[in-house]
Amino acid sequence: MNIPAGHVMIVAAVLLATGLFGVIVRRNIVLVLMSLEIMLNAAALAFVAGGSARGADGQVMFLLILTLAAAEVSVGLALVLQLYRRFKTLDVSAAASMKG
Amino acid sequence: MMTRDLLALGPMLITAGGAVVLLLALAVCRSHAFASAWSVLVLAAALAAIPMTWPGAPASGDLLNLLAIDSWALAFWGIIFGSALVVCLLGFEYFRPLAVQAEEFYVLVLLSATGAAVLAAADHFATVFLGLELLSVSLFALAAYRRDQAISIEAGIKYLVLAGTSSALLLFGLALLYFHTASLRLSGLAGPLLAGHPDTIALYAGIALVLVAMGFKLGLAPMHVWTPDVYQGSPAPVSALVGSVSKAGAMAFMVRLAGVTLTGTPGVRNGVFYGLLVLAIASMFTGNLLALRQPNIKRLLAYSSIAHMGYCLLAVLPMAAGAALDRQAVFYYMLAHAVSILGAFGCVCAASENGREAQHVEDYRGLAWRRPVLAGVFSLMLLSLAGIPLTAGFLGKFYVLASGVRNALWLPAVCLVINSGIGLFYYLRVLGTLYQREEAESPDQFATSTAPSALLQPSPQLLLTHLTLAALVVLLIYFGLMPALASLPM
Repeated sequence: MNIPAGHVMIVAAVLLATGLFGVIVRRNIVLVLMSLEIMLNAAALAFVAGGSARGADGQVMFLLILTLAAAEVSVGLALVLQLYRRFKTLDVSAAASMKG
Repeated sequence: MMTRDLLALGPMLITAGGAVVLLLALAVCRSHAFASAWSVLVLAAALAAIPMTWPGAPASGDLLNLLAIDSWALAFWGIIFGSALVVCLLGFEYFRPLAVQAEEFYVLVLLSATGAAVLAAADHFATVFLGLELLSVSLFALAAYRRDQAISIEAGIKYLVLAGTSSALLLFGLALLYFHTASLRLSGLAGPLLAGHPDTIALYAGIALVLVAMGFKLGLAPMHVWTPDVYQGSPAPVSALVGSVSKAGAMAFMVRLAGVTLTGTPGVRNGVFYGLLVLAIASMFTGNLLALRQPNIKRLLAYSSIAHMGYCLLAVLPMAAGAALDRQAVFYYMLAHAVSILGAFGCVCAASENGREAQHVEDYRGLAWRRPVLAGVFSLMLLSLAGIPLTAGFLGKFYVLASGVRNALWLPAVCLVINSGIGLFYYLRVLGTLYQREEAESPDQFATSTAPSALLQPSPQLLLTHLTLAALVVLLIYFGLMPALASLPM
């Protein structure tokens, strides 16, 4: 059975919206990072869908995104550790002192 | 890969290689003085390599597919590497009295400068993404570098979440564009847009997502909310880096993007034009109005930089292919902004003592009576940000306004003039504070060690910071009097 690339793009768009929603409503920093991962993977899926229709370039982009998402999340987890050490919580609203 | 490719990539290879060598060297022996001297040396070598690459040595096909190393990219590499050099010089005396390990700061500065350089030369979706991520990931770590302070961690986390979201949006936008144009090249966008592609809406959606991500990096309203928090929470040299290196790289790419997505015919305007117009006007007003009553100097500079990026967009609006004068205006504006914002944050570094930053405008009350030279330098930087003649900021604003008037962009040009007036108010407010005599303080205030007078005593340990500030003043006046660099062929 052949799935049209356009349908995959729709799934990717839904995933992106899911991730964005998670980033906005979640208060736990680990879940925020997971939502960020979902958004990045949505973009990666869209590149794979594009690649299946337009040639191998999209798959190469997928590999790049995979690597860089890992780099981003490792720095993110280091910051999660710092947040926990300083505030003894994973709730991002604890770190909201700056205003104005 | 050929020799001329290596030559064309020279400055970028020097900074990337310098960062790796430094990282390896730090594994063997940790020395703050060595790390800072090495990074200054590497950045100076990268700057020196730019004129050697200058004619825009035509690279072979492999390289041309990914990066466009033309005079535009090289000019911005000059701003980027020069600003990173200043940040390393300021960082040395900023981090020396602190208890944090400062060596990795220089590795991260080198990496972020490399990322901004890749972004400034990017002509392919892969390099756009690589450059932006290299820049962002280094900046998360830099923003949270002062682990001893809660607001630094807060700044790092805020930047992480928002920059991560914006790069995911950027990627999705690029994927949409790839899906509909079958090309990963930036220059592949122009044809389908002009020829009335069947899926124009999808193309515009893709471009809008990319614009949102770049607007985020530049701190354009309404994507500006991170700017004041990150400027305030980061260590002062990092705020200077965010204001100069990151903005220069993003603006260089913004101009390339505008060059291929705006229509070349004068008078014919598409959605991208109106999008940029709204961003420009919104940024000018948001930045200036929020800065009006801001008591924190770092937040004030953040709001002022939001407004400045709005002004600069005025010269991006007419950016169709071949508009050399508008390109020169953008370049000169970014150069002047980098010098002024580095100088302003340099003064914040110089006024800070023992790890406590002088963030509040009140900390600067009467500075002119205690440290007249520093107050003079700070005034000069603020006047340049306000766009007063004889400073680089004035000429930058003049070129941008001239570009707007030449292209009959009356609405944003009028907004720029109105906002320059609003901006003058808060720069002069800070300036006035600098020269006010301190009122007689109550005795108990005298006793506390955090009283401003104790905080701002001249210190002999800030020799390097003062020399750097002196060099920035010379540059500021030089660019303000002799705009020779503005006539670089671009």
